[in-house]
Amino acid sequence: MTELGIVDIREIIRTVKSVHDYDFSNYALTSLKQRLERVMNNYGMASADSLIKKITHEPAFFDVFLYEISVSSTEMFRDPSLWRWLREVYFPEALDKNIGKFKIWLPDCVSGGELYSLAILMSEMGLTDKVQITATYISDKVLEILKNGSYDTKKLEVSEENYKRANGARELSAYYRTDKTGIVRNTSLLANVELRKLNINFDNAPQNMKLILFRNHLIYYNPTQQEKVLQMLHRSLSVSGHLVLGIRERISGISASREFEIINETESVYRKRILN
Amino acid sequence: MNCKAVIIGGSAGSFQVVTKILNSLPRTFPVPVLLCLHRLKHVRSGFVEALSLKSNIPVEEPYDKELLKPGRAYLAPANYHMYVELANRIALSTEDTVNHSRPSIDLSFVTAANAYREKLIGVILSGANKDGAYGLKKVHDNGGIAIVQDPNECEVKTMTQSALQLTKVDFVYSTDQIISYLQKLR
Repeated sequence: MTELGIVDIREIIRTVKSVHDYDFSNYALTSLKQRLERVMNNYGMASADSLIKKITHEPAFFDVFLYEISVSSTEMFRDPSLWRWLREVYFPEALDKNIGKFKIWLPDCVSGGELYSLAILMSEMGLTDKVQITATYISDKVLEILKNGSYDTKKLEVSEENYKRANGARELSAYYRTDKTGIVRNTSLLANVELRKLNINFDNAPQNMKLILFRNHLIYYNPTQQEKVLQMLHRSLSVSGHLVLGIRERISGISASREFEIINETESVYRKRILN
Repeated sequence: MNCKAVIIGGSAGSFQVVTKILNSLPRTFPVPVLLCLHRLKHVRSGFVEALSLKSNIPVEEPYDKELLKPGRAYLAPANYHMYVELANRIALSTEDTVNHSRPSIDLSFVTAANAYREKLIGVILSGANKDGAYGLKKVHDNGGIAIVQDPNECEVKTMTQSALQLTKVDFVYSTDQIISYLQKLR
């Protein structure tokens, strides 16, 4: 297995930036290193040089590269207590007062674990027509996979358990079928979902969001980038809109923490603070 | 030895051992202690509280990018990998399970070995699979000290035996010997 040194990683980051204008320099280094090593392993590359050459000279490879280094997030209905809270407390209250479509955004949507969980929840609560869900990612290939519904069989068992603990109304198997390629999720769940590409700087991010689900994505950034991303999310939220982070993620940067207040400590739910 | 951190990995049968170690460390232990112990994915609370009960040093489940401080123990949270990032920070990750485990002992050890090099002490305790063996090898390869709990003392030997197969470790110690080794750190 190839091991990359800091110098190699910096060189790869520099190449990606100069050739494709994607800046990974503020990603958390340890996990980026592991994912770069995984790509090199999958493509049988022995050195950083071969990866750098491929990134420079094969334009089509870059989207594949973005796909390969993305973190396929975890199982569906991760942290069932959050999903119970959304089902029993948050949505009934939020939708009761809402006028117009209730806009929800899932940035950095990779494996669709969160997206399909949310779509299932909306369907079970009869809210599908009342919400507008937007899911975005930097790689077309990831969006294609989300659209065709395929899912990692390995994650199914834990997903089923999570779904039960989240007080799911049916059986999770009602939402997928098994064929020779593995698990295929019911893509009609995504009929009203907008899936689109969004670059690494979140340019043209969706606006007036009532809710942003962004669990366990900040962890892949360094503190500098975390603060930047939080400010972008802040701009996308409507007045007193909500932001859900992973349970071991906290907003702690000085400026960012002035812009959000925590409303649910256990589930890491924040509300946009109205600045004077 | 100029030690910057201690990292301990364990699974089945390691809880009592970790408790005993934490109960025996001096209150002013000079470095951070990283604990990567297999645990149920969906049970978030209770574990850190149980370890804290008899510990001489504070035990916490870190938030992402938290700074590691001496004299504190950091327990890998349920369903996250726990890495050591550069600049002495924790980084958490939800990447795929490794050896069916998240947290993965291997990943915690490998990243700690990269960050601390020869200034790391790695300890593998009782456990029921081979997670940690590769990580301990990396600690050793980077010049750190590799310690394995004596398999004869382990409730479940698989983890320690796998580590011993892969690496020529520095010490095979009983719990009491591990404790007196750590107590000597300054």
